[in-house]
Amino acid sequence: MRKIYLLIFSLSFVFKIAYSQEKVANKITVKFEQANIEQFVNALKLKTGYRFFYDPVQFDSLKVTLDVTDKPLENVLEIAFNHTNFHYAIIHQQVFLTKGRVLRPALVSGFFYNTPGGVAAKQVVITNYADENIEKVPEATTENKLYEIGIKTNNIKPGNATIAGYLRDVKSGEPVIGGSIYNPITKTGVATDQYGYYSFTLPRGRHTLTIKGLGMKDTWRKIVLYTDGKLNIELQEQVTSLKEVKISGEKVANVRSVELGVNRLDAKSIKQVPTVFGESDVLRVVLTLPGVQSVGEATTGFNVRGGAADQNLILLNDATVYNPSHFFGFFSAFNSDMVKDIELYKSSIPEKYGGRLSSVLDVTDREGNTKKFTGTAGIGLLTSRLNIEGPIIKDRTSFSFGARTTYSDWLLKFLPEAYKNSSASFYDLNLDISHRIDDKNHIYIAAYFSSDNFKLNSDTAYDYSNRNANIKWKHNFNNKLFGILKVGFDGYQYGVSSTGIPVNGFDLKFGVKQTNVKTDFTYYLNKNNTLDFGLSSIYYSLNPGDFEPKGEASLIVPDVVPAEQATESALYIGNKYDITPNLSVSAGLRYSLYNYLGPQTVDNYAPDLPKTSFNILDSTTYKKGHVVNTYHGPEVRISARYYLSDNTSIKAGYNTLRQYIHLLSNSTAISPIDVYKLSDPNIKPQYGDQLSIGLYKNFKDNTIETSVEAYYKNIKDYLDYKSGAVLLLNQHIEQDVITTKGKAYGIEFLLKKTAGKLNGWMSYTYSRTFLKQDDPNAGETINNGNYYPANYDKPNSVNFTGNYRFSHRFSISLNVIYSTGRPITLPVAKYESAGSERVYYSDRNVYRIPDYFRSDFSMNIEGNHKVHQLTHNSWSIGVYNLTGRANAYSTYFTEQGGVINGYKLSIFAAPIPFVNYNIRF
Amino acid sequence: MRGKKMKNTMKGIYKVLLMLGALIVHLSCKSPYIPPASATTVNYLHIEGFINTGSDTTLITLSRTVKLTDSARSKPELNAAVSVVGNDGSNYPLIETGNGNYVYPDFSFLSNSTKQYGLKIVTSDHKTYQSDFVAIKNSPPIDSLNFIGNANGIEIYSNTHDPANNTRYYRWDYKETWQQHSAFESFYVAETSPKDTFVYRTQANQLYNCWVTENSSTLILNSSAKLSKDIITQNPVAFIGSLSPKFSIEYSILVFQYALTSDAFNYWQNLKKNTEQLGSIFDALPSQVQGNIHCTSNPSEPVLGYVSMGLVAKKRLFIGGSSMPRALGAHIPTPYGNCLLDTLYYNNPKTHANDVLRLFTGNPIPLSGLFDPFTGKNLGYTSSTAACSDCRFDGGTNQQPSYWIAKY
Repeated sequence: MRKIYLLIFSLSFVFKIAYSQEKVANKITVKFEQANIEQFVNALKLKTGYRFFYDPVQFDSLKVTLDVTDKPLENVLEIAFNHTNFHYAIIHQQVFLTKGRVLRPALVSGFFYNTPGGVAAKQVVITNYADENIEKVPEATTENKLYEIGIKTNNIKPGNATIAGYLRDVKSGEPVIGGSIYNPITKTGVATDQYGYYSFTLPRGRHTLTIKGLGMKDTWRKIVLYTDGKLNIELQEQVTSLKEVKISGEKVANVRSVELGVNRLDAKSIKQVPTVFGESDVLRVVLTLPGVQSVGEATTGFNVRGGAADQNLILLNDATVYNPSHFFGFFSAFNSDMVKDIELYKSSIPEKYGGRLSSVLDVTDREGNTKKFTGTAGIGLLTSRLNIEGPIIKDRTSFSFGARTTYSDWLLKFLPEAYKNSSASFYDLNLDISHRIDDKNHIYIAAYFSSDNFKLNSDTAYDYSNRNANIKWKHNFNNKLFGILKVGFDGYQYGVSSTGIPVNGFDLKFGVKQTNVKTDFTYYLNKNNTLDFGLSSIYYSLNPGDFEPKGEASLIVPDVVPAEQATESALYIGNKYDITPNLSVSAGLRYSLYNYLGPQTVDNYAPDLPKTSFNILDSTTYKKGHVVNTYHGPEVRISARYYLSDNTSIKAGYNTLRQYIHLLSNSTAISPIDVYKLSDPNIKPQYGDQLSIGLYKNFKDNTIETSVEAYYKNIKDYLDYKSGAVLLLNQHIEQDVITTKGKAYGIEFLLKKTAGKLNGWMSYTYSRTFLKQDDPNAGETINNGNYYPANYDKPNSVNFTGNYRFSHRFSISLNVIYSTGRPITLPVAKYESAGSERVYYSDRNVYRIPDYFRSDFSMNIEGNHKVHQLTHNSWSIGVYNLTGRANAYSTYFTEQGGVINGYKLSIFAAPIPFVNYNIRF
Repeated sequence: MRGKKMKNTMKGIYKVLLMLGALIVHLSCKSPYIPPASATTVNYLHIEGFINTGSDTTLITLSRTVKLTDSARSKPELNAAVSVVGNDGSNYPLIETGNGNYVYPDFSFLSNSTKQYGLKIVTSDHKTYQSDFVAIKNSPPIDSLNFIGNANGIEIYSNTHDPANNTRYYRWDYKETWQQHSAFESFYVAETSPKDTFVYRTQANQLYNCWVTENSSTLILNSSAKLSKDIITQNPVAFIGSLSPKFSIEYSILVFQYALTSDAFNYWQNLKKNTEQLGSIFDALPSQVQGNIHCTSNPSEPVLGYVSMGLVAKKRLFIGGSSMPRALGAHIPTPYGNCLLDTLYYNNPKTHANDVLRLFTGNPIPLSGLFDPFTGKNLGYTSSTAACSDCRFDGGTNQQPSYWIAKY
C-alpha cells in the first residue's frame, strides 16, 4: 500500500509541473504510432494543459496508434481506449486514467432517498468501486459498510431482485449451515442450505439484513440492491460472554420454518451431553429428543414416533449408513469430533428424501478449515480419536480427516457372563474434501469407512464394515437456480466365520450395496416461491448370505442365497410458497418407482393361502436385467405454517412414505448380523403416512423455545415374524414373516433454553404404538388378530438435558431420562418337558419391564483460554447412571438344572465414572 | 517443556484408568425376577413322549400346565385313554401306570412298517386330542462318545453318521449315573427284633457305596443339514464342572440319540430358544411354540408337545481314575465337611440293656464298635447322621446297577 501512495505522490509532483504550463485550445490534433502511455500523456498534456493522473504500471501494456484532427480531448481518449479495458474521467481540467474501473464523477442515484424526478429518472449504469475484479463476489465482512449488489443504475428500478451467496465462518472458511438472513422490514427471511448457500429475493433498494448463524455472532449487513447479484457473508465465531444473550439462527427457525418435527443440534450441544464412558455420541444425543425412543441401553437403535429401528434413514454427508454402531451398539459409528451438526426429521420429511418410513437423521461433517491447519485429539477410557483439517489450496480446497480406534477389550470383562473371554476392536476413518473450482462450481468428496471385529466367548469370529464414498458437484446456474449432482456408493457387509470344529468350519458373508445417482435443484422462483426438484436413482445389490466351508476338513455344503438386485428411483418436486407474510405452505410430491430385477427365481404361492412350502404352486425364473415386478406410487409431503404473532406459530403437516428395503430382526436389539431384504413379489414394500400438528412459541428474545407437537401415524405391511422364524440364510424368507398393520400416535412437549448460563432442553412425550396381524391367510395370527403394543411402545417418557456454565472454563451437565418400561412377553404357565420345567408364553407384549430411569452427570474443565498457545486442552469427567439404578434391559426365563428361573438383565447397573482428555491444536 | 507436561498427563490418565478399572465392578448384572401374577389361568395339555420302535418300553407322559409360582413342576393328567393309531386304522392302546404315565411294552414289531402313526388321547373330560401322523425315523447308531477334560470340568461329546445321508436332524438326551460314598462307612445294623442288638451289616444293605442317576434337563440338538455328508462330529452332550459330586469315584453316562424330522427339529429348537437360550443382548424375542398335536374337540385350544417315532440309539461311557478332574489338578472339596463322628458308650456296659433304643432317637446310624483295648469288651459304637453315613441320603441306590463296570 505504502508503495502506491509514494507512487501517486511522485506522480502528482510530475503533474504539478505539467499543470504550470500554458493552457491550450479545446480541440486538438495528435498523431501517435505505437506510443506508450508516457508519450501519449505527455503529448496530450502539452496540447491541453490538463493534469493527468494515472498509474504507469497499469498502463504499461498500452500502445496507442491514432491520427486525429481537431477533436476534443474526450474523443481522443475515447478512440485511444476503445475496445480496451482503460477508462478516463475528466473533472475540472483533471484527467483520471483508470484500468478496469470507470470513475464516475457524480453521486450515486439513490444515495439520497428522495431522488428528485422519482422513478422516471433515466438509468445510468454505474460502477462498483469496491470491486477489484468484476468477477469476484464481494466478501461482506463489515457491518457498517454499504454493499452494492448488481449492476448499478443511477436510480433504482421497482420490483424484486435476488441476492445469493455463501455464509462462511471468517476464521475457518467453513460454511455456516442453517444460518438465517432476515429482512426485518419485509419480515421475510431465508436459511442457508447444507453448503451454506442462500438465495434471497427482496425488493430492490436499500436494506439492512440481520444475519444469524448457529455458534456465530449475530450481525447485519447494509446493502443496496440494484439487480440480481452475489454476496458472500463472513461471520465471526461467537465467543460467548456468559451474561450475553446468545441469539442463534436455529432459534428463530423453530417458529419460522414451515417444517414440523425437525430437530437440529450442533456439535457443541452434542458434546455437552454426558454419555457412558465419556465418549460424546451423536446417537445418544438423538435419544434425548422428544419422540425418539431407545431400543435398549447398550444399543444405538432408535425408534422415532412409533417406527421401527430400520425405518430411519441415517445419512452421513448424504451417504446411507446401514449400521450406525460400533461394538455391539455401545458406540455410534459417527466420530463426534468430525460432526458439524445433526438434523432429525420426524415429521416433515423433505421430498428430496425417501426410502424409509419414520425419520431421516442427517449427520453432516465439518468441512475442513480453508485457512489453516487445525486438529483435535481425544483420549478416552475406550477410544482415542484424532482429527486433522486444513487447506490443500488456501481458500479453495480443504480437507478434514478423522480416525478413531478402540482398546476396549477390558470392558468386555464387565459384560454379562455370556461375553466373557470375548474380544472386540473397531476403527473408523472419515475423509472429506471440499474444492471450490470457481464461484459457480464446487466439488465435495466424502468417504467413510468403519470396521468392527469381535469374538463372543467362542471361536466364532464376527466382523462388519460400513463403506461409503460419494462425490458431489454443486453448480450455481445463476442466483436463482443451483443444482447438485451426486454420485455415490454405500455398502455394508458382515462376516461370521468359525473353524472351532474342523468339519463344521464355515465362513458366512452378507452384504448390501447401493449405488446412487442423485440430482437436486433449487430454484428461487420469486420472493414467495422456492422450488425444489430432482431425480434420484439407487441400484441395490444385495448378497443375502453366502455360506461357505472354511478349512480343508470342512464338510459344509456351500449355501448361497441368490443375490438380489433392484432399483429405486424417484422424481420429486416441491414448492415452498409464502402465501401471505404470515402463512407459508410447503408442498411436495415424490413419485417413487421400484423395480425388482433378475436374475431371480421367484416362488409363486397359491392365492389366499398361507405362504408355506406346501402352498408353492411353481416358480418363475427371470433373466438378468429383467424386471421381476414393480412397485410405485406417489408420496405426499405437505406442511404449512401460520404466524399467530412474531414469536408464535402454528403448523400442520401430512406426509406419506414408502420403504422398499426391510431389515429383518427378531431380536430385542438390532444385531450386527441382521438381514436386509428387498421387496419382491412376495414381500410388499412398507407404506406409512403421518398427520401432525404443532404449536411453537418463543419467549425472552427467542432464548426460550417451546413447542407442542401431536401426530397420528399409520403403517402398512410392516414385517413381523412367525414364531421361531429363521432369518439368516433363509431362501424362502416370505414363509417366516408376516405383514402387520401399525398405528402410532403421540404428543410431544419441548422446552428449550438456548442461551445464558443455564441451557439445555426438557421434553415430555406421550406416545403409543400398536401393531396388528389379522390376516387369516398368514398362517398364524398374533394375539387373535387384535392390536398389540409394539416392542418399543413406551407411553410416557421424560428427558432432561442441561448444562450450567460457572465460568468459561468450567461447566457441568446433567442428563435425566425416564420412560415407561417396554412391553414384553411373559410366561403365564409352566410344564415339564425334556427333563426340565418349560414355560408357556402369554400373548405377545402383554406385560412390561419395570420403568427406566437414569441420570448422568459430567464436568467439563477447559484449559486456559489464551488465544496464542499451541494446544488447547480440556477434560471431561463424569458419572454415567449416577443413581446406579439397575434398569431392566430385558427379562427372561431360562432353565437351570431342570428348573425355570426368571431373571432381569441390566446393563450398566452401577454408577460408571469416566474421564476424557481432549486436545485441540 | 511441553513434552514433559504431556508425559505427565499421560501418566495421570493411566493412573485414573487403573483406578477406574477397580471401580467398575458390575457394569451389568442379572437379578432374580418374579413376573406379575398372571390374570388368566392357563391349563393346557402337554404330551411328552417318543414312540420307541426298539425293544424298549414306549412311555408317554400327559400333564397339565401349572402356574409359574406353583411348587409342582406340572400336574399329571390321569385317567386318559391313550393309544398309538396308524394311518391304516390300526390302534394300540397304552396302559396307564399312574402319575400321568402311559406305557406300551414293545413296539418293535412296527420297526419296519412303512405306515405312519400318531397318538390319540381322550381325556377324562371327554376331550379328544390327536397328533399328526408321523413317519418312522430311525436313528443311526452312535459311533462314539468321548470326553475332553481340564481343571474346570469335563465335556462329553458324541459322534455319529448316517451313510445313507438321510437322518440330518438329531436330538439327544442322557441318563448319568455316578458312584459316590458316604463320609463314614457303617458296619453294623441296629436291630430291635427279635431283641435289641447290633448285627454286622450285609453287603446287600451296605450304605457306603451308592449310585445316583439323573436325567438330562437341557435340550441337545444338532443337524448336519448344512454339511455335504450326514456326519455329526464332537457334538457337545454334557458338561460337568470339576466340583460336581459326580466326579467323586466313577461316572457313567448313557446317551440316547433320536432321529428327527425337520419339523420336529424346529419344534425342539424353538423350545430351546424360548427356554434356554435367553438372557443375552441380542436375544430372539420369546414366542409360543406350536407342536404337532391338536385338540380335535376344540381346535383353538393350544396343545403342547411334539410326537416323534423311531428307533433310539444309545451308548454308554465310563469316566474315572486318571481322567477325573481331581487327577487333572482340580481341588475338589469334600461334600462332608460338616460331618461329625459321635462316640456312644453303653450306660450299662454289662447288660447293654435298652441303650440301643437311645441310639435310634435322632436317627443316627451305627458305624463301628468301640472295644476296651485291654479286655476286648464292646464298650459302645461310633455313629453319625444319615446324611453322613447313608449314601442314599442324596437320592441314590445302594445296589450296584447291573451295567456298572467298576473300573476304578
